[in-house]
Amino acid sequence: MLQDYTPVLLHVIIAVGFATVAMIANIVLGRTGKRNPTKDSVYECGMVPEMAGQPRFSVKFYLVAMLFILFDIEIVFMYPWAVVYQDFIAESGTIILWSMLSFVLILLFGYVYAIKKGALDWSR
Amino acid sequence: MIDPVFLEVSVVVLGIFLLMAEAFGLAKEKSTLAWWAIGGLAAVFIGTFFIGPNSNSFEVSGFYVVDGLSLFFKRFVLISTILVLVMSVDYLPIVQRLVPAERPGAGSGEFFILPVFTCAGLMWMVSATDFIMIFCALELVTISFYIQVAYLRRSMSSLEAGTKYLILGALSTGFLVYGITWFFGATGQTNLVAIREVLPLIPVANHPAILFGLALVLVALGFKIAAVPFQFWVPDVYQGAPTPVTAYLAVASKAAGFLVLIRVLEPFFTVPSFQNKLFLALVLLALLTLVFGNLAAIPQTNFKRLLGYSSIAHAGYLLMGLAAIGDAFAGGAVVFYLSGYLLMTFLAFLILVPVTKASGGDDIAHFNGLARRSPGLALAMLIAAASLAGVPFTVGFFGKFFIFEAAMNQGLYLLVLAGIVTVASGFYYYFKVIRAMYWQPAPEDAGPVAITKTSSVAIFILAMLILILGVYPQLLIGMLP
Amino acid sequence: MPTLAHYLLVSGLLFSLGLAGVLLRRNILIIFMGLELMLNAANLSLVAFSRFNLLPNGLPNYNAQVLVFFIITVAAAEVAVGLAIIVALFRAKQTTHVEDLNTLKF
Repeated sequence: MLQDYTPVLLHVIIAVGFATVAMIANIVLGRTGKRNPTKDSVYECGMVPEMAGQPRFSVKFYLVAMLFILFDIEIVFMYPWAVVYQDFIAESGTIILWSMLSFVLILLFGYVYAIKKGALDWSR
Repeated sequence: MIDPVFLEVSVVVLGIFLLMAEAFGLAKEKSTLAWWAIGGLAAVFIGTFFIGPNSNSFEVSGFYVVDGLSLFFKRFVLISTILVLVMSVDYLPIVQRLVPAERPGAGSGEFFILPVFTCAGLMWMVSATDFIMIFCALELVTISFYIQVAYLRRSMSSLEAGTKYLILGALSTGFLVYGITWFFGATGQTNLVAIREVLPLIPVANHPAILFGLALVLVALGFKIAAVPFQFWVPDVYQGAPTPVTAYLAVASKAAGFLVLIRVLEPFFTVPSFQNKLFLALVLLALLTLVFGNLAAIPQTNFKRLLGYSSIAHAGYLLMGLAAIGDAFAGGAVVFYLSGYLLMTFLAFLILVPVTKASGGDDIAHFNGLARRSPGLALAMLIAAASLAGVPFTVGFFGKFFIFEAAMNQGLYLLVLAGIVTVASGFYYYFKVIRAMYWQPAPEDAGPVAITKTSSVAIFILAMLILILGVYPQLLIGMLP
Repeated sequence: MPTLAHYLLVSGLLFSLGLAGVLLRRNILIIFMGLELMLNAANLSLVAFSRFNLLPNGLPNYNAQVLVFFIITVAAAEVAVGLAIIVALFRAKQTTHVEDLNTLKF
């Protein structure tokens, strides 16, 4: 009875163990050598750096990138759809076409909403 | 006769229409959007009485089921959404004050549109019988709730509540999908009906994998229904979220979560080797939830936070009903309790919104002297608090009574004992509100609380229903699936 | 040749790393990355189960792979909404540390 749980227990032990080891390794390996301000500063061909290493990006980049990902990822549903399309259309008619069209239509409404709300308006 | 799937489709179409109306500026006043949404949802509600047998191919693929239970909960969800929208209209000035806007009123239209999409998700959720469908519907609901909870971007508490809900909601999603993974691995199925069929045939060697998956899914749904020990987001999120959203979370999200829990657990109650473990887990969860929810509510001074803890406590009574599911009436008792819970929770929140607007906060102290300022509102609040506590002649009493009865029949004496003790502590903390209203003096300059007509009508109807069902519970029992 | 057990082990590791990140890290963005890691762990094991446990007709059960597509798209939506909330929080508070979320205490 209890033996049935051994795989689960092993699973948990190994998983927790790996996470612990990875984090300890992070602490140990991450502190090799001593740090000092000069070492931590950005290397700029001997020039003294003038500002922080990572400038802030405009939040507009983030907005456009997010909208791109959202619309881009929806393509994933079209791959399986395209694979079964021919077989399905021979078998049960054109409903498969209309269902995908309605899906795209919903996306289109989302796109129109984004444009009307000025989310893609770069100059704003 | 309407094909059942058109119900959800028309709710989504309504949502898209409202979104376009908002984007193209068709509605001059933002509250017009709310009235359109309420009208559309009411039409869908009427449509639920005219649906034909489920003729579409969804039934064949096993994704979508239309039975008495799902139909009852579709109506439940529609009514909750309509009440939330009524409340939101009342709440609109606060939204417009706390949302940054370039023009007056900009950015507050979506406050009425998001509940419509959430409603569609909830309606799918109560009909879902496949893990794929459950996952998608649940995420539609959860993601639109993230936005709604964090909606007030100038209010620090709303943003914080949104962040907390985001992280813990996403965590529960992670648990849910990983649990589904193990179900699929052990049974080769994602469909609950199919899982029910193959479950007795699974070799014993695979049982740990299934139990592992079951535990993960139980954790994930425990987050949704706010069962202890997965409740820690509840008080903060309930306090920080806009009040109509809090009410929505407390009622509709929790009810749909319970229905999914019932559907997921159902196959496992038929197999004896799972039954015992599941039963033990449910009893433990119920016991912890009852004790923690009621005891932690006692020292609260903020009314929304108090209702947060009380919603945990109510989850405890509902879990007690689930643990007693072997009893013939236990399922009906749980549904009865949820319906009563809808009435009294919405009543409390509907009263809270005008009181917050008039006195500038949602602490219990802001209710001081309400009986002298607005006797009608105070009386309605008295009814809501009495029903939440479970005083006889209210619907809350019968809800608890039926659940205790089912638990007694199943021999869960310990749970019933804990239930009765915690009901007593419930009397104490709900009484604090009543004391503030009737025995504390009102602030000097306080006049009567202003309230919109629709809200007062809704408050009147809910209060009457609580009293009527408290005397004739048969009216509701007759409608139960 | 990797077997099912290998995939499950990797997926278990990913899940635990994600969970450890959520529980131990104090930066909301890192916590959020941990959450996404947990979802991807589930994706990996779903695909592995689907490929290794074939149906009687020799084909994988595609239900699981379709579920993976849904998980990916939902995760994208969740990230979009989540980052928007975190950006709004950062603008209001100038911090993304969980210790600074202390407005709501009783």
